[in-house]
Amino acid sequence: MPTEEPEQALIDQAHLSTLATLVAGVAHELNTPLGAIRSNHDVIERALLKLQDILEDEVVTPDELQDVRKIVRAMDGVLRTNGIAVDRMRQIVESLGTFGRPDRAEVDRVDLREGLNGTLAVLNAELKKHSVVKDYQDIPDIECFPNRLNQVFMNLVHNAAQAMEPGGTLTVRTRTDADAVVIEVEDTGKGISPDHLAEIFKPGFTTKGQRMGMGLGLAISKQIIDHHGGSISANSTVGAGTTFRLSLPLTLPANTRDEGGSDASA
Amino acid sequence: MTGLSDTKVMIVDDEEIIVGAIQSFLEFDTEHSVLPFTSPDRALEALGEHTVHMIVADYMMPEMDGVTFLTRAREVQPQATRVLLTGYADKQNAIRAINEAGLYHYLEKPWDNEALKMIIRNGVERSALFLDLQARMAELAEANAELDDFRERLIHAFL
Repeated sequence: MPTEEPEQALIDQAHLSTLATLVAGVAHELNTPLGAIRSNHDVIERALLKLQDILEDEVVTPDELQDVRKIVRAMDGVLRTNGIAVDRMRQIVESLGTFGRPDRAEVDRVDLREGLNGTLAVLNAELKKHSVVKDYQDIPDIECFPNRLNQVFMNLVHNAAQAMEPGGTLTVRTRTDADAVVIEVEDTGKGISPDHLAEIFKPGFTTKGQRMGMGLGLAISKQIIDHHGGSISANSTVGAGTTFRLSLPLTLPANTRDEGGSDASA
Repeated sequence: MTGLSDTKVMIVDDEEIIVGAIQSFLEFDTEHSVLPFTSPDRALEALGEHTVHMIVADYMMPEMDGVTFLTRAREVQPQATRVLLTGYADKQNAIRAINEAGLYHYLEKPWDNEALKMIIRNGVERSALFLDLQARMAELAEANAELDDFRERLIHAFL
């Protein structure tokens, strides 16, 4: 194994942690339509056996005709449910698409609301026990590294979901402020104490009991936002909740754009 | 004892496709009639109107979690056999809750239809026996009351 700088190893760990959250979210999301389709597949098999049985002697009795009607009714329900389930799976795959390929770091002009929606969709299982409010004002497309910003959104939304007891409210806001796009992620969770608040963007900060690498999420997020020439800040009241605010310029700083595909966080 | 064709199975999951899939299966392959609900609150209201033999409820629902729902359902209809549906990730929490709430069974998503059918068949039989016992106890109580009444009258007639 090649020797890595300790800092790079920590960054890799943070990437893996984001990826683990993403994978767990997607697995949970796929399980519901999968369960429905699996059950329906079984009903279709049973129905086919029944039909073959009815047709075997080339005569259809009135009782068997009743069975055929029952099969038709069942197939009607099966088709309807499968249609919704397949559509749901397509949506999950589409929202994964907005995360793009993690090995590619392309500059693009995008509407950040798409990335926010994709993040909320992928983390739907985690958010189910809370209410989600989208308070979106119109924002212009901005020049950015969309995949990296999605990583930041994922980190903020995941942290917010984890910080709240069931029944919390997650509010995601977008607005413009002079020449910047502002994004806020607000939770009604336990909050962060003032001593901790000053530390959260430092690499390695974590509160007891969190998974390895989790504590790096905010440090990496800050690095990504800095790289975009933006800023990230947090306001928190213990017992009431926390708001993370991102401010991003409409265009990338010249030196960042020129770096192109090089890894922002390296 | 209640015939199997009179048995009602309530299915509660906030996911329409899960309710739909279980309903399609039960209506096709069994004689139970199905009461499908995507809202636990609505399902609780319905329990005030219909006697059910079996309640299958999802664990993770936004309005009310499945264990809370099934605990409330027991207050309204103690005879109904209650089963919890769980996703893999909620398994540990769910199992703890099952023990606390005294549920009959849990079923993990994605479920196996044959296993579901068996659980429902046994559960329905269990609650049918319960209902039968209840009916007989009521008859017995009535007979006892009649007997008491008769004794009273006898005593009156002779004293």
